Amino acid sequence: MRELQFVNVRKTYRSPTGQDLLALADFNLKVDGERFVSVVGPSGCGKTTLLRMAGGLIPSDGGEIRLDGGLLTAPSPKMSMVFQGIGLMPWKTVEGNVALGLQLQAHRRKLTGEETRLVYATLEMVGLKGFEHYYPHQLSGGMQQRVGLARALVRQPEILLMDEPFGALDAQTRAVLQDELLNIWNRVKSTVLFITHDLDEAIYLSDLVVIMGRRPGRIKQVLDVKLPRPRYSYDARAEPEFAHLRSIAWRSIKEEL
Amino acid sequence: MTQSVDRLENPAKTAKLSLAAVGTNHYFLATLSLLGFLALWQVISMNVPPIILPGPAKVAWAFIELTLSGELIRATAQTIWPFALGLVIAFVFGTGLGLLLGIFRPAARILDPYIFVFWSIPNIAWLPLFIAWFGVGQLTLIVFVFVSAFFPQLLTVESGAKEADSFLVEVARSLGGTKREILHVVVLPSALPYIFAGLRIAVGRALVGIIVGQLLIVATGIGYMFQFYGETLSLAKYFAPLIVIAGLAVLLNRGVNWAEQVLVPWKQRAFA
Repeated sequence: MRELQFVNVRKTYRSPTGQDLLALADFNLKVDGERFVSVVGPSGCGKTTLLRMAGGLIPSDGGEIRLDGGLLTAPSPKMSMVFQGIGLMPWKTVEGNVALGLQLQAHRRKLTGEETRLVYATLEMVGLKGFEHYYPHQLSGGMQQRVGLARALVRQPEILLMDEPFGALDAQTRAVLQDELLNIWNRVKSTVLFITHDLDEAIYLSDLVVIMGRRPGRIKQVLDVKLPRPRYSYDARAEPEFAHLRSIAWRSIKEEL
Repeated sequence: MTQSVDRLENPAKTAKLSLAAVGTNHYFLATLSLLGFLALWQVISMNVPPIILPGPAKVAWAFIELTLSGELIRATAQTIWPFALGLVIAFVFGTGLGLLLGIFRPAARILDPYIFVFWSIPNIAWLPLFIAWFGVGQLTLIVFVFVSAFFPQLLTVESGAKEADSFLVEVARSLGGTKREILHVVVLPSALPYIFAGLRIAVGRALVGIIVGQLLIVATGIGYMFQFYGETLSLAKYFAPLIVIAGLAVLLNRGVNWAEQVLVPWKQRAFA
């Protein structure tokens, strides 16, 4: 079983003026199987709040978040997060940062031989072979996010939570990483919950695109993307189906701006 | 790093004695500036009475004389011990307490005002009190050096530990890190550069502390040499302890920089 479920989830923030701001109201969503699910929506609609709650970083104010049936209250070793800000430890090398994904999961400072091999295999998978001993500041933004991805993947998560991971990258790097992500996902077959504000990115990557309305965040529309996979093997973005989905999604989002 | 490699692999750049090549050789520049400084000193000393400013040769002679007689070496030893002891204790306790206060903010909110008040008081004002408490001797000297170095170390480390990046803490939390692990993986490494920044200030303050202490209370060591040769207007000899102190300060600073480069290899330097 592999299932992340939001049941009537609510989240309120206290604004600086002391008023309560409803970020999410009665949010319901189920992410399961080997599915790639993207959430898009206007900025401030609570997408990132949603993901941080799923990652067990912040509590909800109502409703339940369930992971494989159990109530989720803290970060789970079954899940890994990838952040837009990446969040690499500047004092650790590429290898050290990726190893951290296992060290903190196992609460051990020393890795076993097998774990070390896993670190190296993961680095190779994300195209960082040869960069093991670099420090983050010696890498480009795209390379840094590869490290962020490796740190998440090395834990062999059932569910991958990604918060606008390519949002800060230039268009070319983003396109390359999107294809590599699909390629990797095709191999590791984890469930992905992917937050983005980029409609093209959401459609290109996902099986399901969840469109959220403006605050308080709720689901407005869900699009089923039936474009055949692997999508990097052909120009999926040029398909009429792609353009059709994008125009539906864009119309839907535009009403919320 | 890449720049120095580039220089090594490109002998044409250094082989030609063009102006640009001279510009990149900072040993050459350092020697040139030292010679210039000595020449200027010589010229000025020839135009004022020797009692105001003795020339460099005279100073060098006095330095050799004081070294051979053992006076300078004895004074240096008398200075270094209480200095090193006070500084090391201040470093250990300042760093330890700084980390604790940076992490346990409720404790810091209670203690910070006191620390700030103690730190704000010019440390020379403590000296008569310390003499009353600890007598005229080495202990007072060590305590005075300690107080001089402790507060800058404490405050710098505290601000470093306090300002650990909350995003990195969140990342470590999402990876399953416990509070203890987060301390080890995020907070301590991010405080490390501040520990060195504090140490730089602490070294300077401790040097002032030891000299002032020896000048005013125990009448030994380098501080006393300043007092004695200053009051007797033996300026050639006065410069000898000055050179020792300058050398010590440079040596310590180099040491701290070296240790920082080894222990903080991730630090990005804006100007190489």
